[in-house]
Amino acid sequence: MDISVMADTFDAWVDDALSWISDNGDWVFDPFRAALEGAYNGVLWLLQLPPFYVIALIGALLGWRLINAWAGALAGVALVFCSVMGLWDQTTSTFALVVTATILALLVGIPIGIVAGFVRWFDRALEPVLDLIQTLPPYIYLLPAIALLGFGPATALVATFVVAMPPAIRLTALGIRMTPHPFIELGHASGLTSWQMFVKIRLPFAIPSVMAGINQSLMMAFGMVVIAGIVGSGGLGETIYGAIRTLDIATSINAAIAIVILTMVLDRLTQSAAQRTEGRAK
Amino acid sequence: MNTAMNDASEVLVDCQNVWKVFGSRAPAAVKAISDRNLSKKQVLQEFNCVVGVCDASIQIRRGEIFCIMGLSGSGKSTLVRLLNRLIEPSLGRITIKGKEISKLNAAELRDMRARHIGMVFQSVALLPNRTVLENAAFGLEVRGIPKEVRNKTAKAALDQVGLSDWVSRYPSELSGGMQQRVGLARALAADPEIILMDEPFSALDPLIRRQLQDEFRQLTKSLGKSSVFITHDLEEAIRIGDRIAIMKDGVIVQVGTAEDIVTKPADDYVSDFVAGISRIHLVKAHSVMTPVAEFKSSQPNCGVDALLKTSPEADIGELIDLTMKSDRDAVAVVENGAIIGVVTIRGLLRGVAGAPAAELVAA
Repeated sequence: MDISVMADTFDAWVDDALSWISDNGDWVFDPFRAALEGAYNGVLWLLQLPPFYVIALIGALLGWRLINAWAGALAGVALVFCSVMGLWDQTTSTFALVVTATILALLVGIPIGIVAGFVRWFDRALEPVLDLIQTLPPYIYLLPAIALLGFGPATALVATFVVAMPPAIRLTALGIRMTPHPFIELGHASGLTSWQMFVKIRLPFAIPSVMAGINQSLMMAFGMVVIAGIVGSGGLGETIYGAIRTLDIATSINAAIAIVILTMVLDRLTQSAAQRTEGRAK
Repeated sequence: MNTAMNDASEVLVDCQNVWKVFGSRAPAAVKAISDRNLSKKQVLQEFNCVVGVCDASIQIRRGEIFCIMGLSGSGKSTLVRLLNRLIEPSLGRITIKGKEISKLNAAELRDMRARHIGMVFQSVALLPNRTVLENAAFGLEVRGIPKEVRNKTAKAALDQVGLSDWVSRYPSELSGGMQQRVGLARALAADPEIILMDEPFSALDPLIRRQLQDEFRQLTKSLGKSSVFITHDLEEAIRIGDRIAIMKDGVIVQVGTAEDIVTKPADDYVSDFVAGISRIHLVKAHSVMTPVAEFKSSQPNCGVDALLKTSPEADIGELIDLTMKSDRDAVAVVENGAIIGVVTIRGLLRGVAGAPAAELVAA
């Protein structure tokens, strides 16, 4: 058989399978979509409930407590600037999307990472899958998601979730495996049960690595959320996408600045939180 | 080994013909060892397996500090980990307090480790996210002892090692010597009968090490604990141990008191080791004295009864002091009222230089 025929046949199968799933899977995907959008709307509602300066003030306080007064002031001013540019609604909606997707990615990724840290064969099987997820162009994840969940934030959430999960899994597994040998020996010699060994010895040593994983997941999510603007994610991603289509350079630059501000504020906050846990563990 | 003493006191740890073989074909090698009596070298050649511990038999009695001395790679750390089954023995029997530990199930083994066998590590292994007090209470915490009770016990243990002012500090704030004291307090807090010490003081500087050695010995004796103490330093073993086992390439070459090992080394390896050891406080009168008859025949005009007298347990240091005080060049050794021998200056010099007893008699 000709190879190109084989490839065409395979493509036809995939198309058929996807349309079959989207025709017959409504009873799964509709509630799934509703749940995702519900979570997203909940976070968004929380962020948009208070006026923008309250959120900016919270950002400033966190920056001050976690880093220093200077960083706090900067974070506050930067967030106010997002509002001054007239992009507050978009900024909060992007924020909500990133936070929701990252939390979902952590809820799934950290337990998987813990299992991978303990079970060698599972880790080995997982490795190529994670490699695949991380090397495929992120646009790919939008297609099946849009076919099954339609246009809107649910699709953006799923695609962002997929991209944000691998670092959480990898760094959690690494942290679990990294427990220094003398402490494992101490645990055995003190008569610890497996559960005690996990909670009292392995987990404390893994926390800095897990925190680094959370930070990395967040950054991956930010990268994806702009791309997800194509599928109607709302927020800054969609603003940028719209600006590109109409060649509205000014708007696209404003939105890009807002993205950068949001990313930097969240990155510094989570990074310093990670360093705090590490500092305590020293 | 001194069998008379063996019978007299209770054996807490009994290790009989224990082997540990490392390598992918270890089970086959173990079978060959028990069936065909293979030697270590044959095991390496035939099965490509390394013998970590080779046919080791030791007994540790209640209240005894038993040192295992050997260079790195001699199998001493493996041997001590066999005692609490951190490493499973390939062959042989290990009995702790009359219970064969290879027959314990997981829960019994945990209980045995938590209650009866404490362990102190060279790396100390203090949990960095816990305070000194929480570290010392760790063993009690995992046994589910209420916080108030365990903190009180841990505080008492820290008190014993002189760290009562440091309870709320973190390990990183302590010096190496203090950290090791916390390690010891952690082991003591659980109140085990047996404490395994895996080269605990090796990483410390000489002054602190010596101080900790003395404190450890004094504390262990006053609490009536038994201890297996691993070290690569013979001086440390002599300072601390009631008895010493010397290991080389997985084999226990000699077991005995410090004096046994220094005065009667079992082979060239041991005698090389003891060559640099100061004998002043190790060698006792009974191993350097000349029989009375021989002394009389060599120095007929010297009356034995006129000499200063001492006991057979007097060490060379005391003998030198006595000889200096005396106007004669000899000291009489008295046991049960009778003179059993004479220590001459010649004998003293031999004792300090470390000539074997047989040569001494010939001279």
